[in-house]
Amino acid sequence: MIFRLIIALYLALSSPLSMAAMTIEIVGGAANMIPVTVLAFEVGAPEAADPAAVISSDLGRSGYFKMVESQGAVSPASPQSLSLGTWKGRGADAVVMGHVLPAANGKVEVRFWLFDAVRQSQLAALSYTTTPAGLRAVSHRIADAIHEQLLGEPGSYSGRIAYILKRPGRYELQVADADSQNAITVTGSPEPLISPAWSPDGQKLAYVSFEDKKPVVYVQNLADGSRRAVARFRGSNSAPAWFPDGKKLAVTLSKDETSQIYFLNLETGEATRFTRGGALDTEPVFSPDGRWMYFTSDRGGTPQIYKASLPGGEVKRVTFEGGYNVSPSLSPDGKTMAFVHRRDGRFHVAVMDLGNGQMQVLTDTVFDESPSFASNGRLILYATLVNGRGVLATVSVDGKVRQRLSQSGDLREPAWEP
Amino acid sequence: MKYPVFATLLAVLLAGCADTPTQDASIEDRALASKDAKKSADAKAAAATATEKAAATQAADSAKVAAKPAEKVQTQGMVAPDTQVKSLDGSQAGAKGADGKPIGASGGQAGAPGQAGVAGQADAVLLDPKNPASPLVKRRILFDYDSAAIRDEYRSLLESHAKYLLKEKAAKVILQGHADERGSREYNLALGQRRSESVYKALSLLGVPDAQLEAVSFGEEKPVAEGHDEEAWMQNRRTEILYEGE
Repeated sequence: MIFRLIIALYLALSSPLSMAAMTIEIVGGAANMIPVTVLAFEVGAPEAADPAAVISSDLGRSGYFKMVESQGAVSPASPQSLSLGTWKGRGADAVVMGHVLPAANGKVEVRFWLFDAVRQSQLAALSYTTTPAGLRAVSHRIADAIHEQLLGEPGSYSGRIAYILKRPGRYELQVADADSQNAITVTGSPEPLISPAWSPDGQKLAYVSFEDKKPVVYVQNLADGSRRAVARFRGSNSAPAWFPDGKKLAVTLSKDETSQIYFLNLETGEATRFTRGGALDTEPVFSPDGRWMYFTSDRGGTPQIYKASLPGGEVKRVTFEGGYNVSPSLSPDGKTMAFVHRRDGRFHVAVMDLGNGQMQVLTDTVFDESPSFASNGRLILYATLVNGRGVLATVSVDGKVRQRLSQSGDLREPAWEP
Repeated sequence: MKYPVFATLLAVLLAGCADTPTQDASIEDRALASKDAKKSADAKAAAATATEKAAATQAADSAKVAAKPAEKVQTQGMVAPDTQVKSLDGSQAGAKGADGKPIGASGGQAGAPGQAGVAGQADAVLLDPKNPASPLVKRRILFDYDSAAIRDEYRSLLESHAKYLLKEKAAKVILQGHADERGSREYNLALGQRRSESVYKALSLLGVPDAQLEAVSFGEEKPVAEGHDEEAWMQNRRTEILYEGE
């Protein structure tokens, strides 16, 4: 389904979730945004919130859709009663309607339909059964499904993000929905926390904590909150990165020589040294196929990104442009690398096509850090400074769509769930 | 049935959409900590507490729960929306919503170096890290941008600490390296490490045994100056000498 519409580059959308502590501000949008209207769902279950608000918010903030005001219209009882012509007349090319019905055991069933108002055809119809508390998550999944139907590629509304919130005298590792709602503190500490890294199955987080007056790598189980120190060697322990199999971590240790990368077997606790030489080696990350480890090293005189073959360890330099390229992150298909590139004393998120080495700077912010890909590979989440305060932001891999997530705190070190 | 479209809907579902829903909703495969707390290995009392906590956590805004002032590290499981949900993988999970055991920051408990029994000696005062008149109160070594080289001005400072450590074999120091805020946190951690190792080497060359030294880094996480300019950055590129127990 192809829409051809030229819409203004900037989109102002008042979020229906403006009561929440964190809000999302769109600072740029796609040139061709699809006009969509989401009718209020007919909610026949008590205590159930209308998914339409979350779906509209998700689609609206993505920068790919222009939300056409539904003017309070409620979904008809049957899709046959839906007047697509009316909504086409109001400028919508796609229409979403749905119902929330009571189901057994206090659960609710959510049904939604997606229509092409131009061709007068149905594009999708799905049903989900969940608890009233699970409605928000289902709403994000519906937004994902609509995004995929209309744009031909998956949405990234239903994943989770981890990040560090700095409060006065306290650091909190939090996990939230991708729209930054539903934040839960999984670890709080009076000492700094950095470098959260999701396990490939999304059930654990590795991170660095300074609670022992030095950096120590912990792995925490998200289900029950239990955790253990997995690297507490003499010196500093940092920069955890999961192997694709989830059984080992790469970590940066200084126990033998200055910061070098080791492979840590999580079952045995054994650390095997991987990089050698007196240069700083850190920020390891694995390609999804497990054949390469990308990392930052100053072995060439300035910090640059290198890759080492696995298991052999043959090293090749990856970045050449500029004197400071750090914090590599790989797209889920392994074809694109996001990283931080310094230009004229400013730190920007950049991407490199690993096939041809082409580099593109994506942001115009100044103190960008910690880029991380969404699971759909289309968005990059990163941290930056605005008025001296840490905020989280996303940028599409083509640099065209940007969002900023802000909260009344200092946020840093974001990581998108794989 | 109020919704005659149900048959149509089912047909669409069976047609093989990627997001095929199941009876108990695909959403539930994301549920965390969904096991019955009583089945956990924990004691019954702990399970009861955990259940209460889970209920409380569900009821309260999680941010408020998290905002409780605490001096120690606290961890928390993530509460699934539905406490009745069955785990799909059958793996055991701990009590949901339970706080993990607080883990105290493990500062060394060894006696402070100044109490190591040097009373009666002429230079005891001058070699007491706690005495304000002692050269040992100077603990901070600053570095140039992108450098871990120790400037000449710190030679006597390092010699004083080496002298003390050579005399007090039980005393240990932790050398904390720091970097300014610019750039990657992890790379800055490595830069800070290089600065603490530089001081480590200097003390080693003065004869201090490895057993009395540890070099670690705080990267950019603990600035002494909060500004965002060269004046602040200059103060923050440093190594701090901390005696064990401090």
